Amino acid sequence: MNIAWKLAWQYLTGHKLRTFLTTLAIVLGVMIIFGLNAMIPALERVVARQMMAAVSEVELSVRSTSGNPFEDQTLEVVQAASGVGSATGILSQPLIIPDSLVRPAVADYQPVKSIVVVGVDPATVAQVRAFSIQAGRFLQSADGQAVLISESLAEKLDLRPDDVWTLPAATGTVDLTVVGVYAPAMPVIGSEEIYVPLEQAQQMFNLPGQINTIEAVLDANADNAAVSAAVQSRLGSTYSLIAPDGDSEFSSAVAVGQSAFLLFGILALAMGGFVIFNTFRTVVAERRRDIGLLRAVGASRRTIVLAILFETLLQGILGTILGLVAGYLFAVAMMAVVTPLAQEFLYMEMGAPIVTPENLAISLVLGVGVTVLAGLIPALSASKITPLEALRLETTQQAARKVRTRAIVGFVLIGLAVIALITGSFNLAALGAVLFLVGIILSAPVLVQPLAETFGRLLGIFFAREGQLAQRNLARQPERAAVTALAMLIGLAIVVALAGVLSSTFGGFLGYLKRSLGADYLVMPTSLVLGGGNMGAAPDLARKLAEVEGVAGVTTLRLGSGQVDGTAMQMIGIDPLVYPEIAGLEFSRGDEAAAYTALNQERAIIVNGIFAATSGADVGDMLTIITPTGEKQYRIVGVGLDYLNAKLTTGYISQANLEQDFNITMDVLIMANAVTGVDKSAVANRLSGLLVDFPSFTLLEAETFYQAQVNIFQAALGMMYVMMAAMALPALIAMMNTLAINVIERTREIGVLRAVGSTRKQIRRMILAESLLLALFGTGLGILAGVWLSYVLVGALNVSGFVLPYNFPWGGVLSGLAVGLIFGVLAATLPARQAARLDIIRALRFE
Amino acid sequence: MTIRHVILGLLAQQPRHGYELHAAFQAISGGQESWDVKPAQIYTTLARLEEGGLVVQEGTGQDGGPEKYIYALTETGLVELRSWLLSSIPSDAQRDAFYVKLMICLALGEVNPRTIIQIQRSSRYQELHRITAQRQAADPHSELARILFLDKVVMHLEADLRWLDMIEARLDDVQQQPLPQPERRPRGRPPKQLLSN
Amino acid sequence: MSLIETQQLTKIYGQGEVEVTALDHVNLQIETGEFVAVMGPSGCGKSTLLHLLGGLDRPTEGVVVLNGQNLSALDDLHLTAVRRQQIGFIFQFFNLIPVLTAQENVSLPLVLDGEKSGPASRKAGEWLTRLGLAEHMHRRPDQLSGGQQQRVAIARALISEPALILADEPTGNLDSRSGDEVAGLLRRVVDEWGRSILMVTHDPRIAAYADRIIFLKDGRVVDETRLNLADSGEADRVKEKVEAL
Repeated sequence: MNIAWKLAWQYLTGHKLRTFLTTLAIVLGVMIIFGLNAMIPALERVVARQMMAAVSEVELSVRSTSGNPFEDQTLEVVQAASGVGSATGILSQPLIIPDSLVRPAVADYQPVKSIVVVGVDPATVAQVRAFSIQAGRFLQSADGQAVLISESLAEKLDLRPDDVWTLPAATGTVDLTVVGVYAPAMPVIGSEEIYVPLEQAQQMFNLPGQINTIEAVLDANADNAAVSAAVQSRLGSTYSLIAPDGDSEFSSAVAVGQSAFLLFGILALAMGGFVIFNTFRTVVAERRRDIGLLRAVGASRRTIVLAILFETLLQGILGTILGLVAGYLFAVAMMAVVTPLAQEFLYMEMGAPIVTPENLAISLVLGVGVTVLAGLIPALSASKITPLEALRLETTQQAARKVRTRAIVGFVLIGLAVIALITGSFNLAALGAVLFLVGIILSAPVLVQPLAETFGRLLGIFFAREGQLAQRNLARQPERAAVTALAMLIGLAIVVALAGVLSSTFGGFLGYLKRSLGADYLVMPTSLVLGGGNMGAAPDLARKLAEVEGVAGVTTLRLGSGQVDGTAMQMIGIDPLVYPEIAGLEFSRGDEAAAYTALNQERAIIVNGIFAATSGADVGDMLTIITPTGEKQYRIVGVGLDYLNAKLTTGYISQANLEQDFNITMDVLIMANAVTGVDKSAVANRLSGLLVDFPSFTLLEAETFYQAQVNIFQAALGMMYVMMAAMALPALIAMMNTLAINVIERTREIGVLRAVGSTRKQIRRMILAESLLLALFGTGLGILAGVWLSYVLVGALNVSGFVLPYNFPWGGVLSGLAVGLIFGVLAATLPARQAARLDIIRALRFE
Repeated sequence: MTIRHVILGLLAQQPRHGYELHAAFQAISGGQESWDVKPAQIYTTLARLEEGGLVVQEGTGQDGGPEKYIYALTETGLVELRSWLLSSIPSDAQRDAFYVKLMICLALGEVNPRTIIQIQRSSRYQELHRITAQRQAADPHSELARILFLDKVVMHLEADLRWLDMIEARLDDVQQQPLPQPERRPRGRPPKQLLSN
Repeated sequence: MSLIETQQLTKIYGQGEVEVTALDHVNLQIETGEFVAVMGPSGCGKSTLLHLLGGLDRPTEGVVVLNGQNLSALDDLHLTAVRRQQIGFIFQFFNLIPVLTAQENVSLPLVLDGEKSGPASRKAGEWLTRLGLAEHMHRRPDQLSGGQQQRVAIARALISEPALILADEPTGNLDSRSGDEVAGLLRRVVDEWGRSILMVTHDPRIAAYADRIIFLKDGRVVDETRLNLADSGEADRVKEKVEAL
């Protein structure tokens, strides 16, 4: 046992550069998987923050199942239930503060751009919740435009009792007087709460007589379960006694992000494991003689296996620990980049990345586990080396036979894959992509020789003399060349595939954009995510805008939420007559004209692609939607998408139905078209004039908006490319390792070349030629596989509801080619220098 | 031939007694195992040298044989010594007893020539073993010259062994060729051109 | 009983047309405290013989019996134990593990056998000192000369006090001076410490250090010569041979 440890340790410290490079691959893998997953809980907590029960005194909490506000008469129903002590009605809404109203912050604080407004009944709320007042006083029934703010808000914004704070409202703005400062019972994550009298809140949000939460405390000796059941039965299914999904839009986006991150992480880690595998295979080959000697001197097979496994274990532990640290820093950096963007566009306050014990444990296990597993096969093959084999200088012939059978299987798989692609069926094409990859992996060693010759001729143009040598050298060890090129292949395939998906997504979304927000003027809410704190406007504003000279027509979007089959669905209210003229939905099923007509005449709904895909619903089906006013039946008349709501479960209904069933009358987005031939900028000025009183809205001309979206996409694309680079990096490391080993094995040969008259420069060029050959080999196949994969992935997206046209990833292919060539050159630098520097005499003596 | 010159050399170093010369000879020639010279040979040579005027007796010890006299080098002797020092020593590699034995063996066909080669080889190895042991025993700090001499012996033995391997490998070819025979001399007077040896 | 002996030892490589008989029914014995050299032209099978004697390879036919134990009947685990405990190996090159120091290399057989590193290192140190390498104990092989490396290898071969040491061209990679040193050391191993050595070599001068030389040709023993004899023995042997004719 001891000797195995000692050998592992000595080998590790003996080849520091090699150890560093191999460990780096693991570091990268763990960094990505751990770092990305450290960001998720932070995002989730922001969401959860909105949901947290305030203080522990509350024993009963009632909300509507759909998450919408409801009539405050419901309070009486709860109060009347036996066992309920006191109950109070609360209207709590997130609020985004537009730039023009943002108060400057004190010292180093970031300005506050979003808060949660909690409207409470001063008379009853104190019986249910406790408030710790630090300055001033609590709210009183007589208060009108009053507000109770938190300690930190007071500090950040330098607000004291009797100061006035102006906030946006449905009527434009409202001036609230600070009456007191409270200390929150729990540390706050995300937006802070301010308390206003209930009526004030109802006015601010244009929800007269409405609340969205009832909180109650029970009688001293009441049975919680019994009382809850009683209350639930009295209220019916439109109410829930548990916190509803509420902000599920963001939750589901977070969930999607989570799977994407996990996928990335696993891919990155797989690359790391691959590099380890590659390295240790070559390490074992290098150490054949040492291993043979150890066996001759009496080391058991077990000792040999353990020595190698310990070496991988040590690297795995080191790499994982460093990867965890790097991952945390990575997450911090990413959050630092994302936070201002989130503030700017989503009005979410993000905290620092959160390290959960599960994330830590999983990353640790994965990092170390993958490393040890990757080293297992080389370790086992090392133990099979007989002492004699290692003392002889020739290689055995048996390996050749195995390679041939594997290659034949590989070719068969590739053939099947091509057939699958031709059939046109998406599912088969997906299967085909997998078969193609596996087939390439199996048959790669055999492909090396012919491909090396082909590429070699190409290379020969630039490397007249060295090209042939490089080609022969590669062909001599086809297995090793194949394994290295594979690393490049996988790395590049990922890069190209993702580029393909992204460019298709980019193209697709911009397509919707033009379609659904094609009006000349957009009156945009402060945050691009509809709802979620946007202060809307009463219908008045839209009417006023329509009367402006030069405006041809105005249409608005309204927002509510309902529940279908237990999942939340965003309900968007459109005017079925005007909306199609100014904007429009991208229909994938159903007749457009008939759908709009139906929307106008009955309870009809157009669902979006995601919903259709996940629920399997189709045109003509009836949907049961839980609304604040009860269960309602809606008929599906079409499947369509618009730009802003492509990612979430959404349904489009008429604004009339939205008002009737959901009590929503607030506009959150207004679109207007100009009369043809009119001076657009003059019209714009007039519109802006009207909007001065509505600071939560901004006027955008379509062009400007479109450009802004393009910029956002490009920024996102940029970040994606950075991440992809991080994943392709292990491929570079694998190449460097292989080349380094090649140089070592051919020390004598290089000595002979130098003795016979090769200059140092020629030796360097030989190594460079080899490296480029390997790179071309891997890049060529990688691009092929990548394009195929991207086709499959876009198809998958289509199937799951996003209708995207397939954009051939020219950018991806070109950058993949560039990356491949750059890697080819980079990987060769160190080994080439080493080879050129070899002392001729020492090299010749080397056996 | 060489014995007389070595004696001349020893006397050039210093005049010596007769009996001293034998011991000195043995010491300087590499020991008894290398070159076994009998005292009688020494005295005979001394006598001849004296006759030739190369050495001269210098005084006497007591009455007795040559061993008791002190001998010294003469001027003529010195000249002779110098000319010997400055001339090369012919090599004696041409006369090889084993070669002749092998030829006889090939001619007779009574004993397998390979056996003869094996016997010779064995003996060379044994000798090599002996010399090597001597060499190991010698002290490199005070007997370096002797060690180098033994190295020479080793090299010659190695050369012999190499040649044995060589001829063993080509034995079949050699056996197929005719053995060296003397030339038939015609009867009668030899022609004038011939030179006799 | 001999220390090690072979019976009809045969090794054939390859199949069919490319079949090569490296050893052809070889019988030999080596006694305790004997220094035996094996010589012969290239391809005569001398290295193969050594590999089979050391359990590094398995014979096609015949057996190798070490200390009364049939090596061919042992499984890999037991064979490995034999190599650790009863045989010492010295090769022409690649004798040492490059990442271990001289001391660690020497202590390998003991450590592999389960001995604690403390006592093993100490014994290694003792042997290195005996062989005059005390100041090189903590150096790596690449910091030692060829001759020093071979001496470290000898120390390693001796540390588990095996009865038999197998040396494959131990001086082949060395200049003549280092070669003599190593050969002399091997001689000492036999004379002072009573081991047996079987040494494969092509150098007559090195072979001459042995007690006996076995000549192989085409996988068979063609001659054997005892080296350490008094001259008087020759006459008797000649007489024997003459009578045999």
